[in-house]
Amino acid sequence: MRDVYIIGIGITTFTRLEYPLSEIAAYASMGALKDAGVTDVDYVLVANMGSARINNQSALASAVVDTLSLTPAGAVRIENGPASGASAIKEGFMAVASGMHDTVLVVGAERMREVNNLEATDFVATLTHPMAEYIYGVTLPGHAAMFTRLYMEKYGVTERHLAMVGVKNQNNAMLNKDAHLHQKITMDGILDSPEAFTNNPWVAEPIRFFDCCPVSDGGAALILASKEVAEASGKPMIRITGIGQATDTLAVHERPEPTDLMAVRIAAQRAYEMAGITAADIDVAELHDAFTILEIAESEEVGFFEKGTGHLALERGETAIDGKMPINPSGGLKGKGHPVGATGVAQVHEIVVQLRGDAGERQVKDARTGLACNFGGFGNNVVVSTYARED
Amino acid sequence: MEREVNAYKCRKCGTLHYPFRMVCKNCRANDYFEFDIEPLPKRGKLLTFTFIHNLPAQFEVARLGLGIVELENGIRVTGQVDIEDPTLGMDVVGNVEVVRHDTYDDRYGFVFRAA
Repeated sequence: MRDVYIIGIGITTFTRLEYPLSEIAAYASMGALKDAGVTDVDYVLVANMGSARINNQSALASAVVDTLSLTPAGAVRIENGPASGASAIKEGFMAVASGMHDTVLVVGAERMREVNNLEATDFVATLTHPMAEYIYGVTLPGHAAMFTRLYMEKYGVTERHLAMVGVKNQNNAMLNKDAHLHQKITMDGILDSPEAFTNNPWVAEPIRFFDCCPVSDGGAALILASKEVAEASGKPMIRITGIGQATDTLAVHERPEPTDLMAVRIAAQRAYEMAGITAADIDVAELHDAFTILEIAESEEVGFFEKGTGHLALERGETAIDGKMPINPSGGLKGKGHPVGATGVAQVHEIVVQLRGDAGERQVKDARTGLACNFGGFGNNVVVSTYARED
Repeated sequence: MEREVNAYKCRKCGTLHYPFRMVCKNCRANDYFEFDIEPLPKRGKLLTFTFIHNLPAQFEVARLGLGIVELENGIRVTGQVDIEDPTLGMDVVGNVEVVRHDTYDDRYGFVFRAA
């Protein structure tokens, strides 16, 4: 297998974008092509979850490759729920590692604000089990809420811990010009003051508005390349050291232990094994905090903290930008936003920014290795990947 | 006629599945139609629950109770929860009724109430 490097990155601001989905993808891609200093690629992978349903456009990859005048390069759309982004990176990795292609554009894009919030929530809920979950009105916030209640009961996580994740990540997003939410929040404003619960109403008890990521439009792109192409590019040598993917039952109720995110744990183990490292070797991580509880649970399942102790590490400040194990310096999904198909790519965009040392005020000091966890379904399809700077 | 929610029992090893599968998750028996239909029991314990406040348009309520219930035979199901102030572990009993109005169909499933 050949080594694979990331030589270019691009991103749009995550917000409500008033231009077509294919142009959102193209805008991010142009940034990545320009950053890599290339005008041509062999293959294009477009990660997206909802184009056919919410934007009335199927075969999105054909539109993106055409908008970018990259024809006749091969182009494929990857739809794998909220893990579409990292799944596309994995396919791009395999395309270069196998020797089939030398330069691959991986772009993730989503335009969710074309429909209203309830339609967007319903669209994401279609990833649940059609007969055993979806018909009942289960939404992703609903799944997160039932999971949160069990986590609170079993491990002593409180509303305070959830709010601490939200405050940390939204405040990190203040340092990220491309983030969706540039709104500084405080524990007082969302939890402690008399007005707190007016500011921060229930979405699905026991989780509140500020426990949930926003509904965003946006795109992010990477250029993956072989070692020869990467060396010739003159860009920092950032290698994809490991990628692991794992699945779990589609219906959440079927899992033997409902607080267990088995697919996260196995995906991480597979990535570490491929990279020849352990969790202790990671300097910075982007975890999939679509809901605040998920940052806590994933930080345990990927091996940063013992199961049931992630909220204690958070309390000690270990997951802050200047902590021992910085998590979501970009703002995470919570602060940066969550255009579903773009998210997995955007997480790796941030890891590359950090490993290049280009993160400005949110820079994790001396970051040389990174990890991204892209969580699909409610934990039924997860991709964990690891990165290292080699020059 | 009383409506049921069905589980699927592997004819080779007897493992009960809910929801439906084409291949047994225990013995991986790979023969077509190798499952017997078996109605799920109605009584169980409430494992976790939530009240959802932002629902798709088909649900004409402001707040919908949902939960996961472990039934008497150990099978777990997701269902709606029609209980004002539920507690973890409480005994519940399910009734199969309309849980969602789709464009062309009414969908039936479990609604759980206090036992």
